[in-house]
Amino acid sequence: MQKTDKSLTDEARRAEEEQALAALVSQYAPTLYRVAYSVLRNAADAEDAVQEAFLRVLRHRETLGEVRDQRVWLIRIVWNVVLDRKRRMKTRPETDDVVELARVLPAEGLSADERVAAAQHHAHVLACVEQLPAKERQVMMLSAFEELSSVEIAAVIGITESSVRSRLFRARNLMAGLLDHVRSLR
Amino acid sequence: MNTGIRDQGSGVKAAEETLRLIARLHAPDGLEERLQESLQVAALAAPGGLRWPAWLRPSGGWMRSAPLRAAAATAIVAVVVGGGWIVSLRLPAAQTGMAVTASPRGASAGGFSSAGAMRTPQTLDRPLVTAPAEAAPAKLAAHPKGKNGAKGLRDLGTKGLRD
Repeated sequence: MQKTDKSLTDEARRAEEEQALAALVSQYAPTLYRVAYSVLRNAADAEDAVQEAFLRVLRHRETLGEVRDQRVWLIRIVWNVVLDRKRRMKTRPETDDVVELARVLPAEGLSADERVAAAQHHAHVLACVEQLPAKERQVMMLSAFEELSSVEIAAVIGITESSVRSRLFRARNLMAGLLDHVRSLR
Repeated sequence: MNTGIRDQGSGVKAAEETLRLIARLHAPDGLEERLQESLQVAALAAPGGLRWPAWLRPSGGWMRSAPLRAAAATAIVAVVVGGGWIVSLRLPAAQTGMAVTASPRGASAGGFSSAGAMRTPQTLDRPLVTAPAEAAPAKLAAHPKGKNGAKGLRDLGTKGLRD
């Protein structure tokens, strides 16, 4: 009898955990996808990364109750997944980015030529971002997410808020130099 | 100069705008459904299969109890020591006092043989008289102003130290 009670409690707890996980998916999947896409720049890869992140959460679902800020916690998980994948991937050629960006970026009111030109511009900017040192690049990419404050970016990367600010400052300076250099070459 | 700074600033702003555009992209349709499905499949595939019982998990709190931790450490030590003891019991005792015998060396084929000759030590019929040891210093003392006289002795005395 005791055992039945215990198994019933276990089942109830598991059902509760699965419900909580389902709620997390419906609430944060789009955010996690955008974070993953900003690094991987490929829809299928980004979706795989989000799935892997949620599978990690599933494996540690019993700790869900202990998490204070689930959004930042999830972004941190997907961020680590994405960086792992990125390390294993080859460098993306700029042409791949042009094709992908022309496909996904909003192009309302733009002609086909304008759309291609915009995609080329964005791809070129992303190529410059890729040349930044890893620490500065990561902060710059995360700072583009309006829903993330500098405190949250610090929590995702695992550094202090002042480090986030100084890295962002360095990233902007380096980026200006890179863009300037490319402009002078053209 | 100001124009340059403004250009730089606008370039960085444009770059940040690109990143912001990407950060604002919509997730593909049906993403949530696909994720929910894959998570359901994963949850069914491993419905807590190899999980520890709740009271044994570190989050269960047993690791925070000092006596339980001490008991666990004692158990580990007992297992290690007991295992070593059992292994030592099962090993055969080392054989002591084993004689080493050398096989008689026969003449190798094609080599030289002693032809049965035996080596006998030279016998002495009278005691040997050796020359007295002080003969050499006496010779040196006999020629104190010689080429290697006192200086030579001094050198001999310090050479060993220097070397």
